[in-house]
Amino acid sequence: MTSMERVLAALSGTPQPRPPFTLALSLYGARLSGCPLSRYFRDAESYGAGQQAVYDSFAPDILFSPFALPLEAEAFGSEVIFLPDYAPNVRKPAVRSAEAFLDLDMPDVDNHPSLLYLRQAIASTAARVHGEVPVCGILTAAVDLPAIVMGIDQWLETLLFDGDRAAAILTRCIDHFAALANAMLHDGAAFIAVPAMFTNPRLVFRRMIDDLILPAMARSFALVRGPIVFHHGGNPMVPFLEDYLDLPGVVGYAVDHRDPLGKARHLLGPEKLLLGNINGPALARLSPQRALAKVDDILHDRQDDYRFIFLNAGADIPLDTPPELLQAISRKITSYTGGM
Amino acid sequence: MNEGDPRKLLIDLILIGERQQAMTLLCRSAEAFGWRQTIFTLLEPALEDIGRRWEAEHISLAAGYLAGKIAEEVLLRAAEQEESLPEVKGPIILGNTEDDYHSLGRKLVAIFLRTGGWKVIDLGNDVLAEDFVEAAERHEAKIIGVSAMMLSTAENIAKIRNLLEKRGLSADIKLAVGGAVFKLRPELVAEVGGDGTAANAVDAPGLMARLLGEEARP
Repeated sequence: MTSMERVLAALSGTPQPRPPFTLALSLYGARLSGCPLSRYFRDAESYGAGQQAVYDSFAPDILFSPFALPLEAEAFGSEVIFLPDYAPNVRKPAVRSAEAFLDLDMPDVDNHPSLLYLRQAIASTAARVHGEVPVCGILTAAVDLPAIVMGIDQWLETLLFDGDRAAAILTRCIDHFAALANAMLHDGAAFIAVPAMFTNPRLVFRRMIDDLILPAMARSFALVRGPIVFHHGGNPMVPFLEDYLDLPGVVGYAVDHRDPLGKARHLLGPEKLLLGNINGPALARLSPQRALAKVDDILHDRQDDYRFIFLNAGADIPLDTPPELLQAISRKITSYTGGM
Repeated sequence: MNEGDPRKLLIDLILIGERQQAMTLLCRSAEAFGWRQTIFTLLEPALEDIGRRWEAEHISLAAGYLAGKIAEEVLLRAAEQEESLPEVKGPIILGNTEDDYHSLGRKLVAIFLRTGGWKVIDLGNDVLAEDFVEAAERHEAKIIGVSAMMLSTAENIAKIRNLLEKRGLSADIKLAVGGAVFKLRPELVAEVGGDGTAANAVDAPGLMARLLGEEARP
């Protein structure tokens, strides 16, 4: 059974001995391939080679596009900093007001080098695994994009005090989101994953979510010509999961490590994919025994859940995570047979 | 809504995002009792309550931000009426650490510190360790407050600790650290050499008082 077949089986709920598994190893590919991050996050072929190394080392059932959302901000004019041990980050937002955002030229997904890099990294990765391993394209939610283009404070300010401009900005971001998502799907992404922060009541007022944010998310998702995984974006999602169930095109929900998987499944119902949920960024701080025990707990908890995919919660696995631990996690899951 | 209790009403208005109504309430109080009294008896207690809720993660970032904006506007109006709060504490040197450009938390901390009567010298984003320490020496500050959102930039705070050690200033200048990453990884406070952190911006005045061994204003 190939990884693609395993993931498709999960999508349809077909019983299989073990769930598909993956870890967010976008960054980690650079360590495995010995590539400096300044090249890895600029050169699509280097990225593809890193993902090939990820597959060769850990055999995950899903590979990822660069988890480097600031590169999208760069396409809008934000200044990006390349760090020796982390994915690039926004150094300086492109603009500092809603008015200035609306004056920006929208980047062309077919021409801007930063966006082309993201697209070509998907194509390079997909070509190397010959369609046998699904590649997930990661991109910024339309409602979060303004935060990395104008700064979190300015986006909050706009949402709170200038609803008309917030709506106008969202309309532009929706167009960009749909264009990039569809381009990623065209280039070889089997599905897209969308980490979302401003959908969460831990960040913004409920009425803002109901009146502006969720309608914008729905509009953006409706334009995407492929399956979508809605990602928790670093915050617990289960308390609000029901709010997101009607978003169009969403086949699965990736929950936080603090979210109880059983409750998530109960809220999702039997038809949607559930993805989760060991804390990826904290893996290196766990003893191998504890990490593997947590993996065991998750596998047993979900053993009858045929629409479950094992995925770490949070952001990318850090570079200092021992490869031996990742290999041990991979072995534990791939040798698991408790599902049938 | 707690119509009868202005303090509870103010909290309710902030928590549902009603900035205008919250300001109207505060202005009415100021007309009756003056801005200073309004700050001490109405705004500060409301902010303390909001801080507790924020710490327990019962309110949103937007509500915390709105509380900060309201506090900022109140301080401005108090200044216009020549009722500025005396800066009786500090100064505190504040800034985002080297390579960190996420200013939201730092700006909120500055607002709440000023509301609490602290003098704040805000150095802005991407501040080098040398600049923090030199500013602290120049202004005779006993606390440096450093903000970092991500692990990658939080690690730069250790440079400030190292410089304080190197210059023999660690006993005289406390290092307060804060930012999203410290909530996710509390052990990082000690790892980067911090003397303490606050759960949120509203709690920053309490942290500074604790670091100096002082009680917060009653």
